[in-house]
Amino acid sequence: HPTRSRPPSTDADPRRWHSRLSAILPSLATGCHPVRPRRQIRAATPTRPRSSSRASADLRGRRPSLAMINFVLLISRQGKVRLTKWYSPYTQKERTKVIRELSGLILTRGPKLCNFVEWRGYKVVYRRYASLYFCMCIDADDNELEVLEIIHHFVEILDRYFGSVCELDLIFNFHKAYYVLDEILISGELQESSKKNVARLIAAQDSLVEAAKEEAGSISNIIAQATK
Amino acid sequence: RRRDSPPPPPQDSVERIVEDAAMDLSLNPFSSGTRLRDMIRAIRASKTAAEERAVVRRECAAIRAAISDNDQDYRHRNMAKLMFIHMLGYPTHFGQMECLKLIAASGFPEKRIGYLGLTLLLDERQEVLMLVTNSLKQDLNHSNQFIVGLALCALGNICSAEMARDLAPEVERLLQTRDPNTKKKAALCSIRIVRKVPDLAENFMGSAASLLKEKHHGVLISVVQLCTELCKASREALEYLRKHSVEGLVRILRDVSNSSYAPEYDIAGITDPFLHIRVLRLMRTLGQGDADCSEHVNDILAQVATKTESNKNAGNAILYECVETIMGIEATSGLRVLAINILGRFLSNRDNNIRYVALNMLMKAMAVDTLAVQRHRVTILECVKDADVSIRKRALELVYLLVNDTNVKPLTKELVDYLEVSDDDFKEDLTAKICSIVEKFSQDKLWYLDQMFKVLTLTGNFVKDDVWHALIVLISNAPELQGYSVRSLYKALQASGTQESLVRVAVWCIGEYGEMLVNNISMLDVEEPITVS
Repeated sequence: HPTRSRPPSTDADPRRWHSRLSAILPSLATGCHPVRPRRQIRAATPTRPRSSSRASADLRGRRPSLAMINFVLLISRQGKVRLTKWYSPYTQKERTKVIRELSGLILTRGPKLCNFVEWRGYKVVYRRYASLYFCMCIDADDNELEVLEIIHHFVEILDRYFGSVCELDLIFNFHKAYYVLDEILISGELQESSKKNVARLIAAQDSLVEAAKEEAGSISNIIAQATK
Repeated sequence: RRRDSPPPPPQDSVERIVEDAAMDLSLNPFSSGTRLRDMIRAIRASKTAAEERAVVRRECAAIRAAISDNDQDYRHRNMAKLMFIHMLGYPTHFGQMECLKLIAASGFPEKRIGYLGLTLLLDERQEVLMLVTNSLKQDLNHSNQFIVGLALCALGNICSAEMARDLAPEVERLLQTRDPNTKKKAALCSIRIVRKVPDLAENFMGSAASLLKEKHHGVLISVVQLCTELCKASREALEYLRKHSVEGLVRILRDVSNSSYAPEYDIAGITDPFLHIRVLRLMRTLGQGDADCSEHVNDILAQVATKTESNKNAGNAILYECVETIMGIEATSGLRVLAINILGRFLSNRDNNIRYVALNMLMKAMAVDTLAVQRHRVTILECVKDADVSIRKRALELVYLLVNDTNVKPLTKELVDYLEVSDDDFKEDLTAKICSIVEKFSQDKLWYLDQMFKVLTLTGNFVKDDVWHALIVLISNAPELQGYSVRSLYKALQASGTQESLVRVAVWCIGEYGEMLVNNISMLDVEEPITVS
């Protein structure tokens, strides 16, 4: 784990000073996005991308395709992992290796290049939103333009849920981000194309949790606890 | 750092947070350790890796203690902490059983985080997973639809082949439920089951076909995807769906394509592009090799191909899928022309993504209409020199496919010219492709030798051993060209001796045919005599 390069900041009010993803949601018309150059923080370990022909020769065809989307990865500009979801079997060791390789490959790509990298015989579709890279790994013959839309779908839903989502939201409420993702993808396939429906379902489940908390916090329960 | 007297620790330093927690603990005997938020703050406040490890170690110790005490109250919070720690890369296997306990609890909040923990901390290869089967079965039969949803989601993301077999009947049953949320999750879960155990495909085909009459978009996209999967898994399912679902699919696509503005599903002015794309994909699977089915979908494909706006990514994604489908089925020539036109437009689009995708499409189009693709040869060659490595790679693959007897010489010339200026990263791929092309068309031996000598000079270090072995074999079997070879190699060596393979081949030739070199023996018309001392 690399040493931090910037001093710790106060996390008292996350919204106050972090950039808003919604303000920088890209216009999909041109495929390029106006990323506000907040800080030129370079990736923690900028590795030179290896010639992929060597790597893919080793691993091409090794893994049977189990899903359209094999995994979802959210990494920060410094290479910190904010969310990972694996829809194909990868051991812990393999996962670490994959993350390291892809971070090196993606974080070093310039802003004007296309949103697709070829890696180990797969394609990884990625898009940068503010300080986060949203990556989804698909098979070589899947529709990468559609996956770009799926990424954007996910981001817009997160934005609605958290209210102008920023990276700190996804750090402190990572479990909620996963709940949202689980309403969008199952087994690497798209589950719901209506943002409204996803929001409704999450809200309903959140209220179930709130209701249970209230019940647990009721006076009788506290008394019961104290006298246990 | 020297301190005169210990100042109070700064607001969000590790020490302060721990102090706060200790205060908290002393005041409130029921509090058990730090809140999730505080743990995250402490970890983010760590200035060194060692500090972070210390925080994580302390938290893990507290969690382990809570686990062995069978603490119920903070199980939920501890699971959340474990997941965060896991995401940082630390081992958390000691918490796996906690997932099971949470899943087995009766409340929704516990199950929610328990199932999440299950899918994050475990993968399908672990035996612990089998222990969940019973809980899953119960939850799949729960009266609370959201709990059923949790179980379906977990099963869909992580089930092994045994679990798939065990629980397939429950999932089949849930496909018939009324709640659309449950239905769509059941459909996607079925996809995973069928992928793990293809034999079960026939169990699902009846329900899948009848569910195509649904109106709910979430259910539709899941079911269409299920149908596609069934076709891949079982011949019988493919035939069944060909017979029973084509009309329905055409109707779905026509309705969504003609639909007026629907804010809930609108993306860039198109209603539910995801549904468009999934239906197009299923049509491709059904129409492949089947003239009947292909005929049925002809009109709607033409409509989508001509009507879809292509100024936004969503529209282009649909067009991409449409072209793939047209080229995958038994399409009419009119439809094929439409497809190639779209391809041409994509290829000259300024957007890098679109050009990348166009190159992909062109590779598939090769099988269908080689001539049409040849027409774009110049543009494709330009793409080999693009700034974007992804585009360069795709273009190179395509050029390789485009090479034939008529165009091999100009194409190779372009590639070799580019070899000189290309990036080191790309040189290896490019060298390999050029060598491969040249060898395929090596009937013209003189030309073959010229190209190989050039490549050896420019990027000999990337030339594989068997390639220059083959070169030597050819030279030794072509006596009329041996003089030319040794003289050319000698000149090349004089110009640049850095490429190891070049040196090897040259030295071998000089060794074998040194006489020819010195005495200008068997010169070809194109040569001029050289003096070698």
